[in-house]
Amino acid sequence: MGNIMNNYVETGAIILFGIGFGIMLINNNLIRKIIGMNIMDTSIFLFFIAKGYMPNKEAPLILDEYKGVDAYINPIPTSLMLTGIVVAISMTAFLLALTLKIYQEYGTIELDEIIKLKGESHGHK
Amino acid sequence: MGINSFPLLMILISYILGFLGILFYKNNISRAISTITSIILVILSGFLLKYTISNGEFIYNAGHYTAPWGIELLIGNTEAVFAFLFSIIFFIVNWYSFDSLKKEIEYKRIKIYYFLTNILIGSLLGVIFTNDIFNSYVFIEIGTLASCGIIVIKNKRDNFLATLKYLVLSSLGSGLFLMGIAFLFSITGNLNMSAIHREVMNNHNTYTQVILVSTALFTIGLGIKSALFPVHTWLPDGHSSAPTTSSALLSGLVIKAFFYLYVKIIYRTLGVELLEVQYIFKVLLVLGSLGMIMGSILAITQSELKRTIAYSTIAQMGYVFFGMGLGNKIGLVFAYYHIIAHALAKSILFLSAGAIVNENGNKYINRVNGIGKRLPIELFAFTLASLSMVGIPMLPGFVSKWNLASEAAKTNSYFLVAIVLISGLLNAFYYFPIVVRAFFMDSEKEKSDTKPLFNINRALPIILLSIGLVYVGINSEKIINIFLSGF
Amino acid sequence: MENLYILVPIVFPFIIAFMVLLRSFDTRVLRNIMVVTLVLCNFFLVLLLGKFQGQELFLMSFNENINLFLKVDKFAIFFATMASFLWSIATVYSTKYMEHEGREKAFFFFYMTTLGITMGIALSGSLFTLYMFYELLTLSTYPLVIHSRTDAALSSGIKYLVYSFIGATFIITGMILLYQYTNTLDFSPMGIFGENLSADIEKKKLMAIYVLLFLGFGVKAALAPFHAWLPNAMVAPTPVSALLHAVAVVKSGIFGLVRISYFIFTPVLISVIEADVFINILIGITILMGSILALHHDNLKKRLAYSTISQLGYIILGISLLNHNAFIGGMLHLINHAFIKIVLFFCAGSIYLASGKTKISEIRGIGRKMPVTMICFAIASFSLVGIPPTNGFVSKWYLALGGLEGNKLLFVIILLISAFLTAAYLLPIVVTAFLPAKEMDHNLEEFKDVKESPFPMIYSIVLLTIIVLILGIFPNPIISFIDEIASNIIWR
Repeated sequence: MGNIMNNYVETGAIILFGIGFGIMLINNNLIRKIIGMNIMDTSIFLFFIAKGYMPNKEAPLILDEYKGVDAYINPIPTSLMLTGIVVAISMTAFLLALTLKIYQEYGTIELDEIIKLKGESHGHK
Repeated sequence: MGINSFPLLMILISYILGFLGILFYKNNISRAISTITSIILVILSGFLLKYTISNGEFIYNAGHYTAPWGIELLIGNTEAVFAFLFSIIFFIVNWYSFDSLKKEIEYKRIKIYYFLTNILIGSLLGVIFTNDIFNSYVFIEIGTLASCGIIVIKNKRDNFLATLKYLVLSSLGSGLFLMGIAFLFSITGNLNMSAIHREVMNNHNTYTQVILVSTALFTIGLGIKSALFPVHTWLPDGHSSAPTTSSALLSGLVIKAFFYLYVKIIYRTLGVELLEVQYIFKVLLVLGSLGMIMGSILAITQSELKRTIAYSTIAQMGYVFFGMGLGNKIGLVFAYYHIIAHALAKSILFLSAGAIVNENGNKYINRVNGIGKRLPIELFAFTLASLSMVGIPMLPGFVSKWNLASEAAKTNSYFLVAIVLISGLLNAFYYFPIVVRAFFMDSEKEKSDTKPLFNINRALPIILLSIGLVYVGINSEKIINIFLSGF
Repeated sequence: MENLYILVPIVFPFIIAFMVLLRSFDTRVLRNIMVVTLVLCNFFLVLLLGKFQGQELFLMSFNENINLFLKVDKFAIFFATMASFLWSIATVYSTKYMEHEGREKAFFFFYMTTLGITMGIALSGSLFTLYMFYELLTLSTYPLVIHSRTDAALSSGIKYLVYSFIGATFIITGMILLYQYTNTLDFSPMGIFGENLSADIEKKKLMAIYVLLFLGFGVKAALAPFHAWLPNAMVAPTPVSALLHAVAVVKSGIFGLVRISYFIFTPVLISVIEADVFINILIGITILMGSILALHHDNLKKRLAYSTISQLGYIILGISLLNHNAFIGGMLHLINHAFIKIVLFFCAGSIYLASGKTKISEIRGIGRKMPVTMICFAIASFSLVGIPPTNGFVSKWYLALGGLEGNKLLFVIILLISAFLTAAYLLPIVVTAFLPAKEMDHNLEEFKDVKESPFPMIYSIVLLTIIVLILGIFPNPIISFIDEIASNIIWR
């Protein structure tokens, strides 16, 4: 229990991950699925960035003078997550575009209705 | 610029030429550029393969920054063989696309297709070459987006839904993969695979649970992308609704690259010496076996030609995971061999199935009757590839069936031997009916159009692939030795 | 590189096949003459193989211990000569017969490829090579089985494929397990276990391997319970049924059984692991069941098919009794049955072609219109029953001797019962053909236009019948040849 309290950021990240995962899997609405995916991705970013954080240290920006390596937090996870965010955004954009297309084709973004429609159209063939 | 820089050059060439191609207005130019890319890739990877066979593996530092700071590319025999295989199949599929694309996708989208395939092959090569785990994540994502792109490029209802399914599951997989990286990074502080391995070896006793969790995350994450059995559900939709050439690329190459990345993570990053990692082999063995059997059974129940072939991919990836799940290097090498075998056979199957579907204007199996008279070359290649899948001796499918089964027999697990062989038998039940229909049953249509159709851009690529298939089957010993000497 | 000649009898039929496929002939006669001549050439090429006895031809390597290679030994010559001879006669017959079946080009193509593959089976130097040709045999005979493309043909074709692939799966399982033991799959007259076999061998495992291999090849040899494909496959054209299902395919199965029983395992080893017990039960069932089922069938070709199953049981019995005399009997019966059954099938085909009749009840009185055909049929029937001095008697005599030598009295009794049953299902055909009952006189009306079959068909039937007679009167050259094979592989 103590571990969990000490690593509260990580704990939060994992909980968020679970929430996002759940939303993504359970919801039929495509927009909600996309939101779920974003929550999931964000939780990973949070987790990652928390790995780079060290208490009582500064952001790695040299303002007045260089204070030595030990004075700054680890900047690598933060920079990695920049890439991660870019990827997540492009994924989201792609998914949204697809959702738009699907809405134009099927007239709905509820997955169960789409599958029903698809089954009917197959039946007619 | 020595041969050492070829790997990076290959990745860069595919990206740069891809972007160059889309700038032109005319489709023909972007097509030519893409073809040139593929030819350059074949030549470069050929040299690379020759070099690694004689000189062994080497490391290339991108931008000349050494390991902890820069990104490493590690090229051994396995990587070189896969790069060569991928380039050749990319080239052949590209050639095939000259005519087939016009029939399948809108005119204005053709150059986008070529742009996307260039991006795709570049990122697949990146996934194979890279020795940096975060770099591989980036390549995976680019590859995923590009492969979604070449599915959805066929502007149809089914494609949107299939792509959506693929993209959602894929991003789930990427999420899990990234989480795995996060765990590993938190205990090692490194992103270079070899460096992570070093660190893990030092402190694995402290972090057994973290290693276990990250192994599981990698397995599910990459399992989704490489169609491991219970998480394969996106594959049949995606691979069957995509344009012919995209299906061939997706089924033949994309999932294989992700599988190889998984191998790199298990063997090179985490290390099989760890007890926590070894659990995963049992899981892979079970899931691989299930995939082999269930994939085939599901394939038997399908009524659409391309869907059947797509389900067969799941069964064949079952073989690959099975080989890895045997837990030793020999098994892994046989899995590699099966990757080659399957990449060639599945490309042939998809390309010739595409020809059948285009000629018939109908995607169902019960309408292929008598097509063998109209498309003799395509159907002959289809038959050859299905014989390989069924496991007729000296075709590659037989070689991997034999090798995997005898490797399983060495561990005294006769149940596994039975599974491998039964799965081969099941393959016969869905490939032979197609062949029999095509060659021996008369079509319902008028018999006036039974003249053989010959299209050089369709026939020659398929013939080339068939020659490759037979070559790989006959020279299995050589190829396996190349893999073995890489270890 | 002189050994390259060994490849010739295998490759040559393929060349014929592609010639038939790709060349367009001006007339049918021209093509027929060419095909027959070339097939005869192949027979002589096979005869020349005798010069290369004991030589090997390396084809390719699969891994460090398994090679694909061809080897000429006495047993290979024995099988190859028989098959290629019967093939030439059957080709003569089919040139005429196939005229009414159509699709002659496809027929001859697959007929010739099957010949090449059968030669490959005969000359295989290792179990692995044999297996490869064995799988190819299934594929090349499948189009022949479904030649008529009717629904019945297609469904029996599927049955054939399913059975064959299940058999092949058994074989490959057996091979893989065997390979773990021996690390080699090359045939050797001494068996391949050699000295490695310690005193405490894993009996059950070896038995499982042997039974798997036996059942695998047994599928093609129509061993019960895997016999069901054979009667079904009789929908094929007569030359196909005759050659493939009485000679080539089933006998390839038998050939494989001999190879695994005497060239992989050895008689001594088999009796040590007690694998023959299971097999013998199956064989007993096969012999009796085949005979009894043959009685029930009115369709002539089906009756002959069940008779084949029963007679194949004899041959397999000769193999599995594991002694000298039984082996001679089995191999002799392999030859005799091949000749007899091909005559019977050709007669059935001639009857069908002349009158359109396939049922025994419909052919009463046909003997008067087709005397030569029916006399040949009668002679063949007597031989199959085993009435002295026909060749069937000789082989059954040796089988009975073998049974007595192995103290398997039960099998001698089964042989006698089955001989009786054989008489019961074959002789009535002969009798009804010659002595029509009075109320069946209208049949004579129906047969008004029935004549003897045209020249090539009747010629091949008569020739084969003469050979059957010769084999019965002078069996000694063949017996001494088989004796040489047997004394190489069975040491008392």
